[in-house]
Amino acid sequence: MAELVGAFAASHGPLIIREWQRVPAGEKKRMAAAYKELGRRLTAAEPDVLIVVSPDHWSNFFLDNYPAVCIGVGAENDGPPEPWMKAFPHRTLAGHPGLASHIVGEALRAGFEPALSHRLKLDHGSCIPLWKMELERLPKIVPMLLNSIEPPMPTLGRCYEWGALLRKAIEAYSEPLRVAILGTGGLSHSIGEKTMGAIYEDFDNETIRLFDRPRDELIRYLDAKLPTHGNGSEEVRNWLVAHGAAGGRGFELVDYLPVPTVIVGCGFASWRISA
Amino acid sequence: MRDYWLSKLFFDLQSPALAAEFRAERDKVLARYPLQGTVKDAIARQDVPFLAERTNAYLLRYYFFATGMKDDEFIRRLNHG
Repeated sequence: MAELVGAFAASHGPLIIREWQRVPAGEKKRMAAAYKELGRRLTAAEPDVLIVVSPDHWSNFFLDNYPAVCIGVGAENDGPPEPWMKAFPHRTLAGHPGLASHIVGEALRAGFEPALSHRLKLDHGSCIPLWKMELERLPKIVPMLLNSIEPPMPTLGRCYEWGALLRKAIEAYSEPLRVAILGTGGLSHSIGEKTMGAIYEDFDNETIRLFDRPRDELIRYLDAKLPTHGNGSEEVRNWLVAHGAAGGRGFELVDYLPVPTVIVGCGFASWRISA
Repeated sequence: MRDYWLSKLFFDLQSPALAAEFRAERDKVLARYPLQGTVKDAIARQDVPFLAERTNAYLLRYYFFATGMKDDEFIRRLNHG
């Protein structure tokens, strides 16, 4: 049977690539070290497959049809379409149709109703962390695109439940695969709204603290604070998926630092996987 | 509120080729989208607050990035018109 061997989260943001040279040396060093540390831990977990949970930044979906959740079931997905991501070392990323289709099936049986796609474009949300982690070998990627961009979005509780569902589906998969999960995005940031550029350090620190508390406490706090703490902060949903998969027992904070040059409160987390 | 065609324009302008064409021949590109006159005018005068009320914040930011407006100026206009 397959098993969950790791759950991680890391921030992303276009300016992490576009403005990387302008990031002050101390912050750049910490960010690079945090991404690499996550890469080291991911590599040590020896995953065959990595489920990457990210928003779709209008790369695949539009107002015609914007799914709450879409799972990539294809044998291959495309690398990032953004012109400023063209140096990303993979133009395509291998998928795992067997596991991905199994997850979709298990989800439907459990009353979850994801969209599915046989070919997705994995934009900077998925690919910046993969790039910055400097992985020598890229596992097969099962993309899970979760809407945290265009309201209305999945509830925070549902995102946690998605994580638990992923865990259950992984453990019910018949092949002996090692599977890890990476939630990307957050923590606080604000894009294209009046507060653009704001980083809410207090919010980030409290959110990080509450990941170690019962999930209702965390979700109550986020429900109350997210509407006024930057639209980019909604991406914490992807962290909740990882949290749910890991059994909700809190993570080890690899690092957190607000980085004004990239306008993101940058967080890096590695979960303790419960049995 | 979402203006579908305004949002569609911004979405499509993620294509570098279309963005280049838009910068060179804006009216020609705009003519392909059934935009209301007030929206076309707002695009012409770079009325960020007007457009912000009608599209997704990420698409709005992409549009002004693609058309060359610096973030500082974008934020200033977003807040002060």
